[in-house]
Formats: sequence, C-alpha cells, structure tokens
Amino acid sequence: MADLAIKPNTQLDLLNTTIDQPLITGEPTYHSITESVSRVVENPPSKFWFGLIAVTASLLLMLQVMLGYLVATGIGVWGNNIPIGWAWDITNFVWWIGIGHAGTLISAILFLLRQRWRTGINRAAEAMTLFAVACAGIYPLFHTGRPWRAIYWLLPYPNTMQIWPNFRSPLEWDVFAVSTYFTVSVLFWFVGLLPDLATIRDRATGWRRKIYGFFSLGWRGSARHWKHYELAYLVLAGLSTPLVLSVHSIVSFDFAVSILPGWHTTIFPPYFVAGAVFSGFGMVLTLLIITRKALGIEHLITLKHIDYMCKVMLAMSMVVGYSYASEYFIAWFSVVDGERFAFYNRITGPYAWAAWTMITCNVIAPIPLWWQAVRKNITAVFIITIFVNIGMWYERFVIIVISLHRDFLPSSWDYFHPTYVDICTFIGTMGLFLTLYLLFIKYVPMIAIAEVKHAVSHDIEKGAHH
Amino acid sequence: MIVNIESIQKAQPEKSYWRSASQLAGTAKFQEWAHREFPEGASELPEGASRRTLLKFMGATLALAGLTACRRPEEHILPLANGSEDLVPGKPVFYNSVFSLNGISTGVMVETHDGRPTKIEGNPLHPHSLGAASAFAQASILGLYDPDRIAQHTHDGNGVSWDSFVAAVPAAFSGDGAKLRFISQRIGSPTYLRLKAETLAKFPGAKWVEYEAVPVDSAREGARIAFGRPVLVNYDFSKAQAILALDFDFLGLDASTILNMRQWANGRRVRGREDGMNRVYAVESQYSITGAMADHRLRMRASDVMGVLQALAVRLGVLPSAGRAFPASERASKFIEVLAKDLAANKGKSLLAVGPRQPAEVHALALLVNEALGNLGTTVTLLPAPEAVGEIAAIKQLAAELHSGAVETLVALGGNPAYDAPADLKFAEAMAKAKTRIYLGEDRNETAAASNWILQGANYLETWGDGRGFDGTASIQQPMIQPLFDGKSEIEFLATILGAPATRGYALVRDTWKTQLADDKAWRKAVHDGIIAGTATAPVTAAVNKAAVTEAVGHAAGAPGDDEMELVFVPSSHAYDGRFNNNAWLLEAPDPITKITWDNVALLSQATAGKLGLRTDVSQINISDSSYEAEFISIKRNGAELKIPAIVQPGHADNSITLAMGFGRAKTGQVGEGAGFNVFPLRTSDAPAIALGAAVAKTSGSIEIASTQDHGTLTDALRTRSEIVREVTLDEFQKDPHAVQEIAHKVPEFTLYESPKYTSEYQWGMTVDLNACIGCNACLVACQSENNIATVGKEQVLHGREMHWIRLDRYYSGSVEEAELVYQPMACVHCEDAPCENVCPVAATVHGPEGLNEMVYNRCVGTRYCSNNCPYKVRRFNFFNYHDKRLGWMSLGNKAPEIASLQYNPDVTVRMRGIMEKCTYCVQRISHARIQAKTEARSIRDGEVVTACQQTCPTNAITFGNISDPNSAVSKSKALDTDYAVLQELNVKPRTTYLGKLRNPHPELV
Repeated sequence: MADLAIKPNTQLDLLNTTIDQPLITGEPTYHSITESVSRVVENPPSKFWFGLIAVTASLLLMLQVMLGYLVATGIGVWGNNIPIGWAWDITNFVWWIGIGHAGTLISAILFLLRQRWRTGINRAAEAMTLFAVACAGIYPLFHTGRPWRAIYWLLPYPNTMQIWPNFRSPLEWDVFAVSTYFTVSVLFWFVGLLPDLATIRDRATGWRRKIYGFFSLGWRGSARHWKHYELAYLVLAGLSTPLVLSVHSIVSFDFAVSILPGWHTTIFPPYFVAGAVFSGFGMVLTLLIITRKALGIEHLITLKHIDYMCKVMLAMSMVVGYSYASEYFIAWFSVVDGERFAFYNRITGPYAWAAWTMITCNVIAPIPLWWQAVRKNITAVFIITIFVNIGMWYERFVIIVISLHRDFLPSSWDYFHPTYVDICTFIGTMGLFLTLYLLFIKYVPMIAIAEVKHAVSHDIEKGAHH
Repeated sequence: MIVNIESIQKAQPEKSYWRSASQLAGTAKFQEWAHREFPEGASELPEGASRRTLLKFMGATLALAGLTACRRPEEHILPLANGSEDLVPGKPVFYNSVFSLNGISTGVMVETHDGRPTKIEGNPLHPHSLGAASAFAQASILGLYDPDRIAQHTHDGNGVSWDSFVAAVPAAFSGDGAKLRFISQRIGSPTYLRLKAETLAKFPGAKWVEYEAVPVDSAREGARIAFGRPVLVNYDFSKAQAILALDFDFLGLDASTILNMRQWANGRRVRGREDGMNRVYAVESQYSITGAMADHRLRMRASDVMGVLQALAVRLGVLPSAGRAFPASERASKFIEVLAKDLAANKGKSLLAVGPRQPAEVHALALLVNEALGNLGTTVTLLPAPEAVGEIAAIKQLAAELHSGAVETLVALGGNPAYDAPADLKFAEAMAKAKTRIYLGEDRNETAAASNWILQGANYLETWGDGRGFDGTASIQQPMIQPLFDGKSEIEFLATILGAPATRGYALVRDTWKTQLADDKAWRKAVHDGIIAGTATAPVTAAVNKAAVTEAVGHAAGAPGDDEMELVFVPSSHAYDGRFNNNAWLLEAPDPITKITWDNVALLSQATAGKLGLRTDVSQINISDSSYEAEFISIKRNGAELKIPAIVQPGHADNSITLAMGFGRAKTGQVGEGAGFNVFPLRTSDAPAIALGAAVAKTSGSIEIASTQDHGTLTDALRTRSEIVREVTLDEFQKDPHAVQEIAHKVPEFTLYESPKYTSEYQWGMTVDLNACIGCNACLVACQSENNIATVGKEQVLHGREMHWIRLDRYYSGSVEEAELVYQPMACVHCEDAPCENVCPVAATVHGPEGLNEMVYNRCVGTRYCSNNCPYKVRRFNFFNYHDKRLGWMSLGNKAPEIASLQYNPDVTVRMRGIMEKCTYCVQRISHARIQAKTEARSIRDGEVVTACQQTCPTNAITFGNISDPNSAVSKSKALDTDYAVLQELNVKPRTTYLGKLRNPHPELV
C-alpha cells in the first residue's frame, strides 16, 4: 500500500460513487491514517519514483544549462524582439505564479471559511504553491538583460550610488509582492507541517529521527502546543488571505499600469486573481489525480474533493469568460481606435489561433463540469484540467504577446517566434517543479495527518461516517 | 627594426667584445637568439595563420599604433609630448575634404578624435553639400576601418613590400606601352587626370578605359545629339515650378549630389497659406524616392518612357507626331494631358529631367522640349564637357583586346570590372589572358582575385588628392590619418610608374595646384575650406538642333510589345554598384522604399507577380509583420540564369522587373559575404541599363528576406490611423490652415502623476517636416555614426532586433497598383510625461531638467518594460553584445575585429549587452555647446546645438532647439499651423512634433 507503485486493486468504481459520500472513505482509524501517510515517507523509494525523478532531474539540469547559456550569451537566444520585449519569459512567470494560487486559497481562505474538505489536499496544494513560485521567480530575474545587476538593484538598500529603486514601477511592486507571498507561504506551510513532522520523528530512528526532529521544532503535542499552534495557524491564514488577492493583482499591474492597448485595463486585478485560482485549481487537480492514484490514497483524497475543486474551477472559468467578454465590450465601448484595434487584432490577426485556443480551453472546455457525471469521471476531469493548464498559459501569452506585437505605430509591428531555448527553459521549469514535488511527496507527509484525523473525528461525532 | 647581426659580425674589427660565453663560442643557438628580436613564437605568425588571426594581430598593432599615427601634412610621426596650440585632448577636430562617387566630388567635413576620423558630415562651405552628406558619403568611413581591407601588397599570393613592386615597374611598364592597358573608375580629380595624361604621354601606345556600372553614356550622347557637341546638362530644381522626372530618381540614387534634394525641398517649404509649392510629376518603372515624393506618378516600363515623352512632345507641339506607342490607359492619357498643360503654364519655370538609364534619344528629346518650354538657361543649364568616348564601347574594345591576347599588362585602378563589366565581355576570363595584371584598391574583390599583383589602395581619408563637383568646383582631399596599412593612392601609383616612386600624394596634389594656389596661404585656405574658390565652370549656351533630335528620335528602337518583360538595372541603396558591399551600415540601412536590409530582390508589380504565378496578396507575403518569405524567380538572358527572390512592390510598373546591382559578390568581406544575388550576369553591353528579351518564370524555393517594416498599406481594415501621418493637399491647407491639426480631435491634457516642472533655461525640442522628408537614410547613417550604434546582421534583423535609433517609417496609402507613400522619421520623441520612465524598476530612464528623456546605461538592468510601454517603440535593446562580438555558432560569437572600434565616437558610451538604448537628442552635442557657452559666459545660441540627424538632413526637414525661447527656430516651427504631435491622444506630451505633409496635386488630376 505504501509503495509508490500503482496498486491495481485500488481502482475505484467511479460511476457508482455518490457525491455525498464522506470526505474520507474506508474504515479509517487514527492509526490507519497515520500509517497510510507515514508509510509513504518511511518506505524506501520505489524504482518507479527513481525513474520519475531521473526524468525530472534531467529536465532540471536542462533548465540550468539553458539559464547558463542565456547568461553567457544574451536575451537574444530567446525569440524576444522589439516590439515584443516580453514573451515566453513573462508568460511563464505569470502562469507559474497563477498556479501557486490554489495553494494559498485552499490553505487560507478555505480554512477561514471552515471548509473541511480542504484537509486532504491543502498540504500538497501549499507545496505546489511554493514550487510554482520558485519556478516563477526564475523569470523576473533571468528575463533581465543583466541579471547579475538586477538581482540586487531591485532591492531597496542603502548604497553608494545613493539611489533607490523606482517605487512607481509595477516591477518593483512585484519584487515585494512575490517575495512576501513566498515568505508567508513557506511559513504557513511549515507551521502546518509541525505536528506531522513530529509524528514522523516519533516513528523514525537514527539520522532520520534527528532530521525530522530538527524540523519539528520540539513538538510534543501538548495541549499548550496545540493551543499555540492553532492560533499561529489562524493568524497565518489571516495573513495569507489578502495575499491571495494582492499577489496576482500586483502582477496584473505589470500590465494594467502601462498604456498599451490590451494591457491598459482596469479589470485586470480581479480578472487575474480569478484566472490564477482557475489555473491553480487546474494544476492541483492534474497533479492530485495522478498522485492519489500513484500513492494509493484515494480514500484520503476522494471524489468529493475533486468534485468541490471542479466546482471552484467551473466558477472561475465563468469569471474568466466574463472578463474576456468585458474586455471586448469595453474596447468597443471606448471608441478609441487603438483599443478597438488591439482586440480586433487579437481574434482576427496573425495570432488569432492563440486567442481562440485560450477561449476554447478556458471557457468552452470547462462547460461539461456543469454535469455531475463529468465531475465524477476522473478521466474527464483530468482531460479538462489539462485544457485549463494550456488555456491559462495561452491567456498570458495572448495578453502579453498579442498586445505587444501590434501596438500604436504599424511600422513597428512584428511577430514572435520562440526559439529552442525558450521552449527548453519552460520545460526545464517544469522539471524543477516536478523534482521538488517528487521530493516533497517522498520526504514530507503530503497529507495533513493531524487535520485529517480532526476531520475524521468530526465525521464520527456527527455519525455521518457510514 | 631587426638589426642584421650577420652583417655586423662580418664587419667585426680585429678586437671583438663578447657579451656571453656562448656568443664567444658562436653557438648556433646563440646566433639564432641574437638574430631574433623577440623570443621564439612571439614575432611570427603561427603555422597557417588565418586571415582572422592576421587581423587580430593587425588590430592589436593598430590599437597601439593608430593613435599616434596622425600627422598633417608633414610625413613624420610626432608624439604630442609638448602639445599643439589648437589641439585640445578630447575635443574633436574637423577637417574638410571631398568624397567622390562616379567621379563627382562632394565636400565633406570629417570629425577626428585624437587623429582618428570618426564621422563624416557635409562641408557647409561646399556648394553641393551645404553641410549635408548622403548615406553613402557618411558610411564610407567604415571603408577606412574595414577589417577585410587589403592590408598587404601581394604578388602571386605572396606578401611583398611596395619596394618590390617598385622594382618590378621597369619590366612591366616599358616601351611605348602598346600592350599596356589601364582601367579605372570615372576620374574627376585634376591631379589624377594630370597624371593620367602624363602616363599616356609616356606610354603613347597605352589606352585608358574609365568604366562604372552606373551608366553615363546615354546622357552624354543625348546632349551631343541635341547640341552637336559634348555638354553637361545640369538641372536646377530650385527654380522649377513644374518638374517632370522621367525615370530619374533625382532625390535618390540617381542624384550626384544632395543639392537636388535641397533645391527640391526649398521649393516646397510651406510656412503659411501664402507660400506656394513646386509640383513634381514622375514617370518611372521602379518605385523610387522621387516617385514617392511626386505629386503625380505614372508607372510605366522604363522602355515606355520614350513613348510617354513623345506623346507629351506632340501635345506641346514640339514633335509633329508620336512614332512610338506605349501601353495606353485612361490614367496615362489624362496624366499627359494635364502635365502638358502644367508645363506649358510654367514656361521657363518647368523642367524635364531624364534619368541616366534612359537611351540617348530620350535625353535629346527632353532637351528639345525643355528648349521649347524656355527652360534652357533657367532650370536647365549647360556646362562645357570634354569629348569622351562611350564607356561601354571602350570597355568592349578593351575586353576584345584582352581576349585576343594583345594586352600584356592590365592595370586596374580601383573599381571592379571583373564583377560589374557587361557579362557578354567575360571580363574576368579576358583578364586572365594578360600576363601582368595589377590591381590597386582597398577591396578584396573579384578583380583583385583575378590579378597577380594586388596592391593595397589607400582610403580617401588616408591620402592626399583632389576632386571636382559636377560643375567643376574643385576641392582638395586631405588625409586625416596616416595610411593604416601601407596603402597607396592612384596618383602615387601613377607617380611610381612615371619614375618617381618616392613622390607622395601631397607633393603631387600641390604640384597640380602650383599655379592656381601659388602661395601657401591660398593653398592652406583651399585645404581648410575644402573648396577652391572660383573653380566652377561657367555655363555655356547652346541651341538644340531640332532636326538632329527629330531624326534621332525617328531612328530610336521601336517600342517593345505590351506584354514584353523588361529588366531594369538600378543602383542599390545598400551596395550602390557593389562598392559598398562590405559596408555594414549601408547593408543594414533599410532600403528607403522596400525597407529590406541585407539583400537585393527582384521587384515587380502585383499583376506581373500574378502573371508569373507568384503570390500576389501583399499581406500574405509577410511571414511576420516585418519579414517576407519571398519566392524565387528564374530570369534567363544572355545564356545566363539568375535565381532571385521576387517581391511585389506596390506601385511598380507591370511587365518590368527592377534589379538592384551590387550584391552576390563572389569575393568580398565578411559583411557582404552571402548577401543578395548577383544581377550582372544578365546585364550585357548592348543593354546595360534596360534590357529586353529575358525569359522570366517562377522557380522552386523561397527565402526569408529581412525587412524592418511590413508591406501593408495604411488603408487596411482598422489600420486607418490617418492621425499618425497626416497629409493634406496644398489646396486644402490654403483653404483651412488648420487642416492638418483638425485631422484628429485634440484630447485635453490630463495626467495622474504630477508632470515634472520644466523650469530650466533650455528646453529641448524638435520638429520634423514630413513635407520635406524624403526618407533617404542620411539621418539614419549619421545617427549610427555619431552614436556608436551597432549593426546586427541579417539574422537579427529577421528577429526584429535592428538597433537604429531613428527609423524612417514608410506608409503606403491607396491601392497596391497606384500606392502613394509617405515617410515619417521616428526616434525617441522625448515625452514630457514619458511612459517609459515610471515603469523602470531601477530608475534607469529618467527625465532631465531640460526635458530630455535620459537613458542611464550603467543603471539599466534590461527588463525591457520601458520598450513595452513606449507607444512609439523607439527603444532598442542589446539582445547580444553586438559591439563586442560577431555572432557565430550558438550565438557565442567571436571577438569583433578591434579595428572597427577605431571609428567609435569617444563622446558616446558603447553599450554592452542586456541594456536598452535610444535617441538622446545627441546629448553629447548639447553638452559640448553648454561647455562652450559657459566658457564664454553666455547662453547657448539658437542653432548652436545641432543633432546629427538634423546636421546631415539634405532637405532640412529637422529643426532642433530650445522651445522655451519663443524666437528659436524650433519654437517658430512648432507654432506653425501644420504642427502636430503623433499619438497626441496618449497625453505623453512628446517634445518632437511633426509638420504635416502637403501634397500639391494638379486640380484636374485629383
């Protein structure tokens, strides 16, 4: 069971599962929950795991080679040009940041709203947030022409040049927004981990005991600890909540604050937050659908979780679709040539294929989620999440590249062709993300043991459990 | 200097002194050690030294030696240990000289920094330059620092010294010279002509051929037919009210000086409703700058120009009947009818100007019409000209002599006949028959490759010489720097074969002018001024022999069939006739019309493309908004086949293909290597300019052509941005002086951030007169030269990464067939509320107190956000280390030749990779003026700060100055009714504003 290999007999009869089945299936006891989660961490890694991490680590190596090559030569090895100063770099940045959003949302907002169903998935989602932000963080640094300067010149520190960064620049706001988000997310994730790390520590021996012991910060599970823990978790959840809204709002300012038609719109902050939650849930679902099956923890991450997440995704898809429509309406309503042209060009110009890919993936593909049968069909959900992941990447591409490629003066118009370095760098960040994720599911309890036990106790008390 | 130890040892006295035991012992090792100046390996090139290695060494040597190598006019190297009175280190010194193209010289002023020429401008004192310089003249400075220059005299491939050539002279140049032939480019230089005459006097059997691919024969012949004797026909566009350009790009590549442009523009400067404008009609096959600037343009095959002219002559009553047909159309007949009316109404103020490609009869007939219109002596002046043989005939005869083996010694002084001679002469093959083939020049070209003596020529910036303008105005050409290598000028070469090998250019030139500039004071003034006063030849008067003209016209070749395809060979805006083929600035400067860089293509009309089965939809040809996937066509003529990509040129004449010369060179430098297609194999001596009888068909394959702008017209769906480039007719302007400003609704000014307060004494601003701009690229090259702007190569242009700070936006309007064209020079407009500034996270672009949008290169980290937020997209990013590296495998690149860095302007930072750059309003020039003003305790005067683009603009389209001074030229210009801001609705308050374009169509043709 704890082996990472897919167990053939854990296949659920998907069609027969009703939607109001409890969050935790099977006959869980506190012990069995501890066992199922801990054994993943305790058993030696399987060949399958080694096979996977070999692939993802190779991709990570490719990322390092690509970034090294970029720094050794220049931004020219990417396809960027004038007028398309940003292309895959910032597209990938926003995409990764967006993916991170599900974690914070699930952890913080759903926690504050006492949505118990978050318990099975919050740990993995939070981890994904961290890894996605780590991937995203690569781009703002390496997309600059001189990263060896950008790495510290964007920070406000007293210096002999007697110059501050430009606090009017949205890129400067990004530095604060993303670093705050990352810091708070790390803290939130780590605080949540404490009881579980202590559980692993208690079961471990030798050097493993020392390492887990170090990270569990002396947790003993006393009532006092629990009291402080609960309070700290609540405070951090409260701190994270505005970040869910602020990070992507500020990322959207990178565009909204400019004067470029297609960027210069006031709808961007909510639109970007909705898009981020949309893409974040898409990615969390994609990965959890694989993980729960691979680790055999379908009884902990159940169809009910998937169902809820599908509903959030569907709602966000509609928000995003509404935003698209609103952009076109406003462009038409503005009676400004440049605005009208930008949106006309978006769906009819040389990049129409990208715009329609975006609309298809983000607005049309999630429509089947209205039907419960689809939400319960793991394969269907998986396919839709893939559409969402692609669609949300295209959304950023559409906003960034299509707006830039044809702006005010037709003499400067151009087209963007990605190079192999663009493509390999992007695939490389996926390598980074997946490598970290694989390390996470192997070495950290990927389900919040304490919280799940709490949820189970609720079920038992309410008698809802069977 | 390596001391010859052996000879010293041989001459040793009885009592010898020794420095070491091994010397005394006389070991072989010591002998070797003593003989060598440097340790082994340090003073010789490694085995099989490549050209690149050689260049590296030369570059290093130069970097050390170049700076001290300047002296003038003494021929000694004088270190500036004591300083010289006028020479302030760090302050540029300007010298006047001349630049020659096709034997015609134009005054230039060369900026030198510590002895290095860095920039070429026009000589303001020279009447044909008036301070402006063409793109060619300015870019010619790269020839001096061309890393691919011939840097060593060679004989049969072995490096030799000049002395060994001198030693070989008596053998090669002996007797009466019956087997001696010279071929050179056109000569205008009095000293050169003098030595040429002396050479021919010494070798009476020798012959001298002057030849260039850009034709001159038919104009000379046409004048001879008309006047019965050789005269030079000269046009004065300043006096003309109605101008007809017959296949004559007098504002572009067919112009011998920039004077035409200045005169034309002065006739169109409208400041108020009382000002008039000249009206230009153009009949042409290609789309030229002149055609673009014409108020009415008739596209016609070049072979049909004769038909149009005859029809016009008939209508004007000059010819009894037109013997020649041309493809008739309602548009053409209406055009001719109105044109005739307009010309007749402007008797004495009209002008028919004929291009050099047109046959002699067209020139003759145009002169006849000009005479009938009373233009002779007003807009058309005649200058005396020497009797000249036809160039084509002369080179034909030379080739025949070579083929027959009658020539033993062939001397090629410059030029490149092995490449650009008519193909039927098989000149390269013929050259091989001469026993001794001597080539003197700078370019490692085909003619050099076919020669056994390759003598390195000196650049015109390194050597003494002289030249004459088209009207005979003489100037002294003075060197700015000691020859970088051991180059010799043509006159020094001739002095050598005349038996005075030691005579340097200075003595030769001084000798030529010893009577006219007898005293040194006059000589020094002539050298200083760059012009010798009173040397212009006086116009002559002559009457056109009507009978001779009518007879010649009657005998002219018949019109080709309506569907017959013609080929027209035109000079290229990049390589000219091939001489600038290795000039990176020119190859990367977008063609004024097509905006194509680094290539020549066959240009044809949409209908012709359709006939050949090529893609005709202009927008579909674009693979992106700036590059084309051009399909190949095959052109067969004269037994040769040329495969060349074809592109639909809006406004091109049907059944005509324009082929630009100068590309596809087999032997050229690193820059020109692989660029373009050689059209010369199709060009024969019987049809050197306009060729019929070619078989043209579509062939397989296509190629990406790098262009900086798309082909689209402004009237495409939703692209209608008439407020960007504003044009109205003169008539509309006179009825409503605010017509230009009323094209777009003026948006009230509003800003979220508080606008900076501009209270400083100087507030810089600029206006660009779209009515004057002809898109000639002079400003672009000037800016490149002044501001150390990198060239990036074809592949990078395909990526959309060209670095030009100023670009000449070209917009078409109207249909693809009859497209009209307008230019809009666009550089940083220095917005007062600049959108680039507030988005930069590190404050690398900030506003100066004088209204400049300043770029702090050292602070830039290269986020490119500023460029994204720039509505004018004038910012340029260093995607690679363009200055430092030649992009090579994997974009890693090799170190660029160091010699290239000698051209850099030391006042301007050379930017590294990863940072943004853009127009600075030539802030270094502003600083110079400010320092000057401060030392003199006064304010900067109006006109004291001249930007590089403004300085060189042949049409004075650019005005720059202090807008806070209401009396400055720029303030007055901004106060004009035609002044408008591009993208005013964005409220960024640009400091550069534009004066709307006015067209002057004839009311009956509107």
